[in-house]
Formats: sequence, C-alpha cells, structure tokens
Amino acid sequence: MPVSDLGRFLSAEELRRLGGLQVLAREVVEGFCSGLHQSPHRGFSVEFRQHRAYVPGDEIRSIDWRVFGRTDRFYVREYEEETNLRAQLLVDVSGSMGYGPAGKAKWQYAVQLAACLAHLMIRQQDSVGLVTFDSGIRRVLPPRARPSHLQAILGELEGAKTGGESDLGSVFRAVLPKLQRRGLLVLISDCFGEVQPLLRALAQLRHGHQEVLVFQVLDRDELEFPFREWTQFECLERPGSVRLLDPAQVRGAYLERLEAFRSELRRGCRQNRVDLVELTTDSPLTEALAVYFKRRMQHR
Amino acid sequence: MNFLNGTLLGGMVLGAVPLLIHLLHKRRFRVVPWGAMHLLDSVLKTNRRRMQLEQVLLLLIRIGIPLFLALAMARPVFKSGGMGVSGNEGLLLVVDHSYSMGAGERPGETLFDRARLEAQELTRTAPQGGVFQGVLLGEGGGILLDRPTHDPGRFLEALKRVTPSAGPADLAAGLQAAAGQLEKLREPVKSVVVLTDFQRASFGTADRAGVRTALDQLRGAGVDPAFVDLGARRGGSLHTDNVAVESVEFGSGLAGVGQKLQFRAAVRSYGETAHPDLGVAFRVDGVEKTVVRVNLGPGQTQQVVFEHVFESAGSHRVEVEGEGDGLAADNRFVACVPVLERVEVLLVNGEPSSQALRGETDFAEVALQPFRAGRMELADLLSARVVPVEKFSGAVLGKAAVVVLANVPKLSDPQLKDLEGFVKSGGGLMVWPGAKLDLDWYRGPFFRDGAGLLPLSFGEIQGEPRDAGRTVNVPPQRFEDSSLDFFNDPRNGSLGDAEIRVWHRLVPGKGGADPGKVLARLETGDPFLVGRNHGAGRVIMAATTLDADWNSFPLRPVYIPLLQRLVLGLASGGEPPRNLKVGATLTSFLPAKDAGRRFDIGLPEGGTAVVEAVARDGKAVLEFRGTRKPGFYTVSGPGLEPQHFAVNASRAESDLTRLSAGELEAFSRENGVRVFENAAAFRKLQRERRVGREIWRPILLGVLALLFGELWFQQRVTGSRVSVRGMEKGVLR
Repeated sequence: MPVSDLGRFLSAEELRRLGGLQVLAREVVEGFCSGLHQSPHRGFSVEFRQHRAYVPGDEIRSIDWRVFGRTDRFYVREYEEETNLRAQLLVDVSGSMGYGPAGKAKWQYAVQLAACLAHLMIRQQDSVGLVTFDSGIRRVLPPRARPSHLQAILGELEGAKTGGESDLGSVFRAVLPKLQRRGLLVLISDCFGEVQPLLRALAQLRHGHQEVLVFQVLDRDELEFPFREWTQFECLERPGSVRLLDPAQVRGAYLERLEAFRSELRRGCRQNRVDLVELTTDSPLTEALAVYFKRRMQHR
Repeated sequence: MNFLNGTLLGGMVLGAVPLLIHLLHKRRFRVVPWGAMHLLDSVLKTNRRRMQLEQVLLLLIRIGIPLFLALAMARPVFKSGGMGVSGNEGLLLVVDHSYSMGAGERPGETLFDRARLEAQELTRTAPQGGVFQGVLLGEGGGILLDRPTHDPGRFLEALKRVTPSAGPADLAAGLQAAAGQLEKLREPVKSVVVLTDFQRASFGTADRAGVRTALDQLRGAGVDPAFVDLGARRGGSLHTDNVAVESVEFGSGLAGVGQKLQFRAAVRSYGETAHPDLGVAFRVDGVEKTVVRVNLGPGQTQQVVFEHVFESAGSHRVEVEGEGDGLAADNRFVACVPVLERVEVLLVNGEPSSQALRGETDFAEVALQPFRAGRMELADLLSARVVPVEKFSGAVLGKAAVVVLANVPKLSDPQLKDLEGFVKSGGGLMVWPGAKLDLDWYRGPFFRDGAGLLPLSFGEIQGEPRDAGRTVNVPPQRFEDSSLDFFNDPRNGSLGDAEIRVWHRLVPGKGGADPGKVLARLETGDPFLVGRNHGAGRVIMAATTLDADWNSFPLRPVYIPLLQRLVLGLASGGEPPRNLKVGATLTSFLPAKDAGRRFDIGLPEGGTAVVEAVARDGKAVLEFRGTRKPGFYTVSGPGLEPQHFAVNASRAESDLTRLSAGELEAFSRENGVRVFENAAAFRKLQRERRVGREIWRPILLGVLALLFGELWFQQRVTGSRVSVRGMEKGVLR
C-alpha cells in the first residue's frame, strides 16, 4: 500500500514509529504463506526443529534415514514451519462509538487503529480481513495478503458511518461460522452492552482456537463523567431515549457502575485468555500499539 | 410568639430562591448525546428513589437556610404562659446595709459599692415611667425616700448618701418593711429585689418564721422577691479577712479619781490571714496613750490589757483601735468611763459590836473600801463612815452620797425628816433589815402605805435563823437595773452563791402607791431587792440582813461587787448606761428643772442632733434614738457638764463568711426565692417572663447547622466516592 493512502488516517510521525513494530502472533496459526508466525504443524516446513523416536503411525517419509544408517534406529525429523497470520479486524460502528468531539469520536479512533493494524499485517505478508458491525454484521472483507487488499480495507473503513445498537454477542456468533481456519481476531469496540453474552462469544471463539485481541476504546468523558449542570443525555444507539438529570448526583453511582462493568470485562477476558487493551481516544495511537505488541512479545 | 423586628420576616421570601434556582436548572440544561446509556440506565434504575429523596432533602435544606435566617433576624420571642403583665414598674429595692457590706479590698470596692452599681443597673433597665423606693436591711434601717420617686437619679442619689450601718442585717424586718411599702405602690408591675451579701452571721441566724411571713405577705401582693447575691464570686475571691476589737471590759464600769483602772480588750482575727505584728492603740479622751503590738494568728483571739489612772472626775472617753483592715466598723471599740470623786457612804449601824466583824456594818465597811481595809495603796472609789443610830442626823450626813440603814430599829422623827430631805434632794438610801427592827415603825411612818421612803413594807419573817435550817438563794435571772446588770455576766460572780436563811417578805401597801421595781428575786419568788425613786434620790430596800446573821452574802466574793454596785448605782442616781450598742436608745437623766429644754447631741459622724428633755418620774429625761453609727455621742447644753456616751457596733457581722453554696441553695429552696448573680440576670428573667424569651440564638445555631448540613449533604450527594483506576492519559492498564 502506498504510504500516501495510509497517510489519510495516520500522521507521518505515527507512520514512522509504526515502521519499527512487528506484529507477532502469540500462537502458531495456520497459513499459507511463510512469514514470521510459527505454525503448530511440525514436520513439513523448511526449518528443522528436532529429532524424536519413531512411533507407529508416523509417516514413513518422515524417517531420517541418515540417522538410521548411523544408529540403526528409527528417528523422524520435525520441522518448525513459519506461516502467514490470518487476521480478521472487527470494527464496531454502532451508535455508541459515535461519542466524542468532531474528528475525535471513538469510531474515528477505531478506524485509525484498524488501518494501522491492517497496514502492519499486510506489510508482513499476513492476511487481513475486515468486518464492520453494529447489532449485526454490516460489511465483510475476507482476509487477503495482497497489498492491494489494504486499499479495499481502507476504503471500507473510510466509508463507515456509526448508528444502530451494538450486540457483540450476536456478531461473534455470526462471525464464528465464517472462520474456517485458526487465526487472530481483533475486536475494536467500546464493548458497551451486556458483558456476559460477549464473554460467552469470546469463549466460543477461544474454543475454536482463535486468538482474540480486544481493543476497548473509550472516551475520557465516559471514564470521568465530568458534567456539572443539569444535562439531558440522549442515547446514541436508541434515538428518542433521553435522560434528564443532575450529573453531579449520579456521578458516584455511575463511576461505580462503570468500574464494575470494566472489572467484569477484564475478569472475563483473563479467564478466556483474551488480551484486552483499554484505550482512550486521547491516547497516542502508536504508543497504544507499542504497549500491546511488547506484551505480545513477552508472552511468546 | 412575637417578633421584635417583624418586618424582617419579609426576608423569608428568599426561601423561594433555591427553589427557583432548582427549577431554572431543570429547565435550562445542556444536551449530550451519550453512548454509555446502558450504564446510566442501570444507575438510574437502582438509585432513582434515593436520588429523588436526596434532591428533595437538599432542596429543603437550601430553602430552610434563608427562611430560618430571616426568622432569626426578626428576633422572635417565645412566651410560655401568661406570666407577664405589661405596664409601669414599681421597683422596690431592699438594700442590705449591714456593716459587713462595708467590707472590701479597697475604698470604692466594697460590697455596698457593688450594691449601688446593681441598683444603678436595675434603675437603668427599668421601663420608662416606673417608680423607685428603697428599704434598708441593716441595723436602724428604714425607708430610703419619704415617698417613691419617678426620678432614678434622685433614688440613686439617696442611695449614694447611705453608708453601711454598724449593725447586723435583719432580713425579716426588712422584708416586712418592704411589704408595707409595696402596698403604697400603684404600678401594675411590682418588683422587689433584695441586694445582699448573704453573710452567714445574718442569714444563718435569721428569724425564719418572720422571713417566711414577710415573704408570704409579698407574695400575697403578687410579687416574688428576687435576691441578688452581691458576694457571688465574679472572677475573684470575696474579701473575708477581718480583724475586730470585740470588746473592752473595765472593772465595775465606774472609776474614781486617782484610781488605776484596767481595760481588757479582746482582739480577734477572722479568716485565714495571720497578723504577726498588729498594732492596737489605746486612747483616752482622744489622746493616744500607748500602742501594743500583738501576734494574731488566723482565727485567734488575743487579750490586750491597758491601765490608766484618771486624774479628774467626769465623763471620759476610752478607745481601743486595731490597725485598719477591709471592714472599718469593728476596728475600734469605744467606752465611756464615768469618773467620780470619792463617794462617801454613811453606814448607820443598828447593832454595833466590839468584836471584829460582829457589828451589823462591819462586813459592809470592808466591802465598800477593800483596799483601805487591806492597807493597800490603791485608791478606793468609796469611802465608808459608820455612825450609831443615835448619832445619825442631818448634820452627820456631810458629803455623804448614800446612807445605809443596817438593822436600825427605828429613827426619831427629826432623823426621819432629815433622811427624807436627804433622799429628796438626790441622796441614795439603802435599807437592810435585821432582828432589831421595830416593824410597827417601819410599816408606819417609814412606809406610810407607799408614801414614805420605803417602796414596800416589811412583812412576815421567813426561814429559820439556825444554820441547819432550810435556805434559799437568788436564782440566775436577768437583771434589768443598771446596779445589777453587772451580774448578768457570770464571770463577774453570781448572787446565787450565797444562802439566805431568814428574810422578810416585802409586801405592798394598800394605798396603791408606786411599789417600785423588783431588782432581784429569791427562788421563792419573794423580792430580794426593791428599788424606787424618791424625789431626786433613790431608795433600795433589801429582804435580808447586811451582815452574816441571816445570810452568807458577806462570806462570799460576790458581796463586794454587790454592795459596791448598789452604792454606786444610788450615788449616780440610777443613771442609765453610758455604753450602748448601735441602735439602742441613748438616755440621760437631768435635773427636773431641765424638762422642756433642748440639748445638743454631738454625733460620731459629725454634726449634732437636738433633743428636748421631757419630765418623767420627777426628773428630766433626755432620749435619743438615732445611735446608728458607732462612736461617741456627747450630750451638751447650757449649764450641763458634757456627758459622753459610747456606742459600739455589734460584732455579730465581724465574721464575713458567706453562706456556703449548699446553705444558699437551702435558703433559696426553703423560702421559694430565686437568687441571681447580678441585677442583669434578674432583668433577663423578668424580661423573659414579661415579654418572652428571645430564641434567635438557637435559630441562628440552627441556620449554621443547616449550612454545615448542606455542605456535608452536598458532598455526600455529589462527591465522588469511587476512584477510577487507570484514568491517567494514555493507555489504560
């Protein structure tokens, strides 16, 4: 992808800093292309890993006859195969992602983040797909590793508009049958809504050997609830739903509730071995990515 | 409930301001498109009721603050019942001006000065148009003004002229006087305030029944008297140290020229302070003779003895004065000593004897001039001369001031005539019976049914002359006559020491003449000594003998002072006492010709009083009732040798100890009266009763409480009690 295309979403400084990052999957995924990612299938790749004693059932062709000639015993050769990552970016464009000042709304931050990830992965010859959704799936671009595919992804992101209610649980349930191979699922959302259906869906994804990475994008107002005077809150997902109240009076309870919500999400992700990265829209994008990938490297 | 600043109640409309602000805020709101509505909804779902309640409470608090502030500024007064009566006030001040009120650390800071200040406060805070009257509570007290005044200045000026008296407080009398004055007040509101120091010496011994009666009288007039405790501790201790010259005693009360007289002064320290070098001065006729220094410990009494020889006859003034302290009234004790030239006594012996002490007048002769009998150089005041009956005549009377008839059978008519003339001209006569009396003569010409010299007739003889027979004596009794009041003090001897075996009943005649006054009685009730004035003189008759034939008086020590006092009493014509207590009536006997004349009485505080002598019992009597201050009073007039009278304050109030807190409470409880620390406290209660109790202070405190409550509630309602983790800028977690 030409840099000029990515520059529509990222500043030059951000692009410079992104160049030093490497996206490394924590687990070996199947792929069609060689790359930096480790394959779980040993024995059929170019990079030798180890010898082990033959056991009935091993293919005859995997026996290392040279070793047999020296030792008169059957050993088979095992290879560590490097494969391409097959990643699917799930970007939430429901109504709640529309919160934030013009140009700095949550969905805009999510789009920037998705663009960065797509750029990095395609540069590593990984396959990247894109799914945009609200209460249901809006658009699906299947994973491709071709550089021209990035153009398609960016075009799709550029045309995304927020609206509708989010229902992550049903979205994941709908996405799951389309994932025929093991890979990386990257969710970029505020995760607002019922937590338990989301966690159940994550558990199902993990059961399908999908690695899941959740970027939770929040606005600082949602964390601090800084309103003072009487305010009418209008729901971004359900037009016509309004609440007139004294924000100072509910702030304490709201923050308690928010903390409970976040704790529940964190706990669920940890239990399902899902990485959760909480971001605010004022966070520098590249720093957020760097923190995440450092953590991924440590886990490797 | 009433309001002193009712117009400020209009400020209560400000209570609507918080409500308006609340409504305005609800109408003027900002609109925020919000994503995390599911969180808000869950918060509202579980907290809606609490939030509504908090909103209402906060709004009520905010409305309440201006409401109650306006209420407090309107100065509401709470009236609990119909106790108050409005209108002009008749204020009756009962001011303790007993001499303890003169106590204080410095001049101008005495308790009485404090009483004046409290009176000033009471008049200052009295409603316009009130009237004022005062009653003085101390010795010789009375009404302050002739009639109640509307002018507080005049009232205070009159009080300013009053100084603490020299006597104790008489609470019952003062309250009764107040009750009497209260009836004269016509104002619808009457107040009686007693300003006193609650000294234990006065209040501890107060006539409780009298106090209660007087209080009932006051309450009957619709007044609950209030007491203001002037001695209440107000940031300092009350002055209780005091040194008093409690008494000065000197022999028989009479002295002769050249006779050495001993004055025994008792000096006592009250309180806790020691006086290691206290000077006590002795003055005679205003001239300081000596100063003795004594070491007086706390609570101790010391005797100080002075001696003096008077060089001239007449009335002499003696003073004993301790060094000054906070209470001046008892620092000085004054005495008046009448000094006589030698008094000649003619003893008419009815039964002479050649044997020592067997003659009828032998014992009396010794008793009247004991120093001479003992061959001592000291001067006797009396000089006795003995004559047999047959030699008695007007010619032998000479300069005799007193004639004593001892067991004289009878006198001849010329002798009787001379004797009557002697008595009428002011001489003294003592008649002592015996076995040799011619009773017919005594009951006849000598008595003449009371018209003669004898006040009573000699009746039947009582008792047995034998030693083993039944005896009677003179029981303890109160002696009113100045001749015998010396024996009211047991230290001077007791007439009861002697036994009387035989005595005459002394009986009155039938003519209804003046039977005289019984000076002393026997235990049987029969008169022992009877006295009566006769002309300008005086006659005393006894019921038993002058010698030891019928009684043992001559064998007892009391015989000497008995005879001397009787003779001196006769010689002085029965002069009334010259040493008096404050408040006692000053009395002087003058020749009958002075009746109707006016005499000056010099007063101790300066100035003179003019008193007219009145005719009474054949002589002129001068009486003065204004002995309100201690010191010397001097009666003088044309042709009259100045007569001094010494007046001393009672020492009852020298002990400045106040009623203890418990005693004060008991006094208050028993009498149902309230005791205030000062006049302002009384006025405050009075105002509360009349107008009501101002309650702006508690309301203001309530406003403050609401302010703090609002602050706290605001914090509680809007304050963040949850810390949000990971709120720093950048990547969370």
